[in-house]
Amino acid sequence: MMRSLCQSLAAIVVALSGATAGAAQSETVLVFAAASAAPAIRAIADPFTARTGISVTVSGAATSTLAQQIVRGAPAQLVLTAHPRWMTHLSDSRAIDATRRTTLLGNELVLIAPLDGATTLEPSFGFALEAALGRDGRLAIGDPTHVPAGIYARQALTTLGVWASVADRLAPAGNVVAAVTFVARGESPLGIAYRTDAALSDGVRVVGLFPASSHDPVRYDLAPVSANMTPAADAFLNHLRSDAARTVFERYGFRVMAAS
Amino acid sequence: MLSPLEIEIITLSLRVSFWAVLIGLPLAIGAAWLLARTTFPGKVLVDGILHLPLVVPPVIVGYALLVLFGRQGAIGSILYDAFGVSFAFNWKGAALASGVMAFPLMVRAVRLSIEAIDQRLETAARTLGANRVRVFATITLPLALPGVLSGAVLAFARSLGEFGATITFVSNIPGETRTLPLAIFNLTQVPGSEAAIGRLVLISIAIALAALILSEVLSRRIGARIRGTPT
Repeated sequence: MMRSLCQSLAAIVVALSGATAGAAQSETVLVFAAASAAPAIRAIADPFTARTGISVTVSGAATSTLAQQIVRGAPAQLVLTAHPRWMTHLSDSRAIDATRRTTLLGNELVLIAPLDGATTLEPSFGFALEAALGRDGRLAIGDPTHVPAGIYARQALTTLGVWASVADRLAPAGNVVAAVTFVARGESPLGIAYRTDAALSDGVRVVGLFPASSHDPVRYDLAPVSANMTPAADAFLNHLRSDAARTVFERYGFRVMAAS
Repeated sequence: MLSPLEIEIITLSLRVSFWAVLIGLPLAIGAAWLLARTTFPGKVLVDGILHLPLVVPPVIVGYALLVLFGRQGAIGSILYDAFGVSFAFNWKGAALASGVMAFPLMVRAVRLSIEAIDQRLETAARTLGANRVRVFATITLPLALPGVLSGAVLAFARSLGEFGATITFVSNIPGETRTLPLAIFNLTQVPGSEAAIGRLVLISIAIALAALILSEVLSRRIGARIRGTPT
């Protein structure tokens, strides 16, 4: 009885350790991608894996979260950030190979509302954002202290002169996709996200586009994480800059900045 | 010594935990009494459901609260339309999340305490003419007080540390739902915050330690009183 129990335990230990060892041995690329870009990267990865046998794992989260994890030694090979500030932080921390940093994508900032609402509001100087939130509604945005979409949003609202009126009416989310979810669920009457996020969600509609002049251009930078690079990761890095990838990015609504 | 922001975070955390325990404790005592002293069909199932927050991932509790008590939620929309009460994105929602997560801890502690009471004391009171309510108020509850107290302290500490259900349900709003753990989490996302994080960590430890010491002192006094020895 005791012996069989020990044998079962040993078998479980072997199985579990074997699983992780096996994963490490096969060709896997771990990509840390800004939450807004993760779905497109996944769509690009699938045919790439089918063609090359290199499996790609995409971890999508707020750029800030990913950058902090990479600085602390996360085993990602590639990182795609939604705000140059964070890529510069990675560069300053010597985590990435700065010579191979490129700007890959561009995006736009939009005001979103739940699908069933009737709000019409065009982001412009002094627009009636606070009134549109109603008595106690909150504006869902990426947390402006660190999430790129929130940083852009704060900048845009400041330029348009309405930040002070809504600064205590925010529902800050840990990443931009979470902010979209708040709006899609109807918990927030309005939110700010990228155009690509709004297009991916069934529950929200675009109320208006923020003027490009109201905030820094939304730029996604791609770079290899120096300590973790492998030939397989290099292959996927190149693939992300290929025409095939460009087609997918454009289908998702991104502007592709770098070409092969 | 403490910055205004730190005081805001601490006050909010204490307020959220205080209300979570204050509202949760009477309900937990009731549930504990039912489980300890009565039998009814489906008791095992009720027991299991009450303990769910202890075993399911907190993010699931938070999501369930969002679906049920959000502005558009099944219960939340009724509460809002009928009473104007809303749990969405405010500290009451944070207290609700903390209370739900801490509820099983309170029930367990109180229940164990009630089960340890010699039932003959309660029976004797009944034979002397006391009704169930009076027996509960004058015999059961006073004798279960150490369990009530330790359950309350445990729940208070759990509420101070509540993270997953809170951030899922009511987001991370400064001054409204950004309690100590959420504030620490937020700072971990911002480079160069190590000193600020360290301060909040020390504050958290100090509060938790103070709560534990207070409960130890109180339970000794109560224990001594129940045994009839002078304090």
